[in-house]
Amino acid sequence: MTLIKPAARRRSRAPHRDPGGGGKVAALFLTPFFALFLLTMIAPVIYSLCLSFFATKKSGLGFGSTPEVRFVGIENFVVVLSSESFLTGFVRVAIYALLYLPTMIGSALILALLLDTAAVLFRRAFQLLLFLPHAVPGVIAALIWVYLYTPGVSPLVRTLESGGMSVNFFSAELVLPAMVNIAVWEWTGFNVIILFTALQALPREVMEAARVDGAGPFRTALSIKVPLIAPALGISLLFTSIGSLQLFTEPSILATASSAVTSTYVPNMWAYDAAFNRLDLNQAAAASIIVAAVAGVASYLITRINTKGVRA
Amino acid sequence: MRSSIRSALGLAAVAVVVAPTAACGSGDDAASSPRPTAATGEVVFWSSLSNMDLVAQAFNDSQDDIDVVHETVPSGADGYAKLSTAIGAGNAPDVATIEYFALPEFVTSDRLTPLDDYVAEETLNQFNEVSTSLVQLGGNTWALPYDAPPMMVWYRQDLLDAAGVDVPTTWEEFEKAGQAVHDATGSYLASFNANESSWFAGLAWQNGSQWFDAGEDSWTVGIDDDASQEVAALWQRMLDAGTVKAVPSFTDEWTADMVEGRAAGVIGASWSANSIYSRVKDAGQEGKWIAAELPSWGGDIAPLYGGSTYAVPRTSDNPAAAAKFIEFLTTDPRAIEARGDSGSAYLAAFGLTEVAQEAYTTSDFFGNDIWAVFEDAADGTSNDWQWGPNFGITTSAMQEVLTDVGAGEELTDDLSSVQERTVDGLERSGLSIE
Repeated sequence: MTLIKPAARRRSRAPHRDPGGGGKVAALFLTPFFALFLLTMIAPVIYSLCLSFFATKKSGLGFGSTPEVRFVGIENFVVVLSSESFLTGFVRVAIYALLYLPTMIGSALILALLLDTAAVLFRRAFQLLLFLPHAVPGVIAALIWVYLYTPGVSPLVRTLESGGMSVNFFSAELVLPAMVNIAVWEWTGFNVIILFTALQALPREVMEAARVDGAGPFRTALSIKVPLIAPALGISLLFTSIGSLQLFTEPSILATASSAVTSTYVPNMWAYDAAFNRLDLNQAAAASIIVAAVAGVASYLITRINTKGVRA
Repeated sequence: MRSSIRSALGLAAVAVVVAPTAACGSGDDAASSPRPTAATGEVVFWSSLSNMDLVAQAFNDSQDDIDVVHETVPSGADGYAKLSTAIGAGNAPDVATIEYFALPEFVTSDRLTPLDDYVAEETLNQFNEVSTSLVQLGGNTWALPYDAPPMMVWYRQDLLDAAGVDVPTTWEEFEKAGQAVHDATGSYLASFNANESSWFAGLAWQNGSQWFDAGEDSWTVGIDDDASQEVAALWQRMLDAGTVKAVPSFTDEWTADMVEGRAAGVIGASWSANSIYSRVKDAGQEGKWIAAELPSWGGDIAPLYGGSTYAVPRTSDNPAAAAKFIEFLTTDPRAIEARGDSGSAYLAAFGLTEVAQEAYTTSDFFGNDIWAVFEDAADGTSNDWQWGPNFGITTSAMQEVLTDVGAGEELTDDLSSVQERTVDGLERSGLSIE
């Protein structure tokens, strides 16, 4: 190891490459990532893509004959995309996202702005309290809420009933908002942290200038802080949108309690049901590829809107 | 340096990609591997039933040639997901538990080994008619039946008394009794379980419906036939009248209804004795529950609800030993004894139910002789009922259309939709449907 002279350190701001050693070190650090990435991400995607162009065709009664694996081109994609239940799944996800995104991001933003103005003592306590639900694993959270929704068992439902309100969270109309509620409960705290961190990083001079110019706390929040943390909001929005598309845990758990939630309720569940209930891996692969493609396009669009919004 | 890293990564990528691609589209070779004909060696046994480890132990103690290794797996859909994946991956057990309704699905997807070469004719004669007919498909025997639980009803005698009605013997009486019980006590005479496709199938089966019929070389699907529609119309009337409640079975809500006396009856099977007892044993309902036969539509068809079979996955390299163990499991009184008190099993093999009855310690919890009722409920014809070549398609379809039962949808329309989706799905998989 050699000592670096102060002058050399100053110069290292310019693009600097250590001839020889850097590549090896980089390779050493990157190999585990790329090995796992290839093995757990790229390989399954390619395998699914391959599966999705084949079909297992039975014949006659189906007994005692080996089903034939045949190349069928895009037939699986046509079948999946013409399946009413698969498309309904996307409609459900869309409704879910429409309810979930504004509610969750909105309340996270309000809470983050409040935290930003609150006294330091309470700030810590509130941060912790807000984040706590996120520490509960998603499946457990869903189970807790299913208990709280179940008629005849839930103290919540009982209280509402004694107040003259008879609510059935498992009904076909209310079960989707009930799911949104679970996700809001689970994820708001996490997003508060992201937005709050962004708020904390804002230059204090700007706030001071706003105050000098006569802006009140509301005006400062809306016209100064929110536009300045737009990139962080964008990241929250991106993660949350992709998370919505991957919706699986909450409906899967709710499906065990309500017949309004079917085994093909959302596209991901449709793929799971195809693979393990209807034993059709090829259709499941095609459905998964479609979900992945939609997620890819959606994230591209959101990133585009995001960068545009930041530039404007 | 750079290029060497890139080529190394490239090579890894190719290796990773080629491996699965090579497997894609081609079947595995497990079937062609040599199989020992002598019944010796290790047999891996997957079961979700309680105390089956004791049965495996009893078998190991009874002989020296075969060593059974018991592994507990999840029941229901999760268990089938695990099993079908394992068969695909080649690490499935030698003996798997498959319910009647799922058996044809495993057969048509070529996941099982037929047992004809390993099981003697006399063994098959030990099982009752209905269970034998459900494990023999296309001229082969694919599994041996364990239990053959008759579908039946469990009532709260005290709530029937409060309403001044007798145990209904016909569905017409059931409908009237439901109204009387609801008027007098506010309880429901039964729940409508949209979550269990085999539950509604059993009710249709009893009325003479044939949901699936394997002909010479093609299937006939009759999910919306007249008999099924008659059953659907009855349940729609009772749902409209509010005398039965639409609630998925085995959920917390369903349990709470039982515990708090809102359920005056349960349409289940012989195994429901255990299911009811474990839920209400602390609710002060001892002696209040009675077993009864299903109300009649006029015929004498005795449908099953639930019931397991034991099959050998095609990936097993020891089917002879596996078949020996399955024979012990399903026909040997020692297997039933070893399991001890593990529920009110009504077994497929003649003479074994008495052994199970002996071991069952909670018969006294019930207000009548449940075992005598089991006999009566099981006494009837099977009507040549068959489960479809992929009942999973029907199950998914039923769940998809029965989302709003009792609140605005018509069961009779739903059945037509299930029929349509089932035929569509089966045809897509290449099967011929009439």
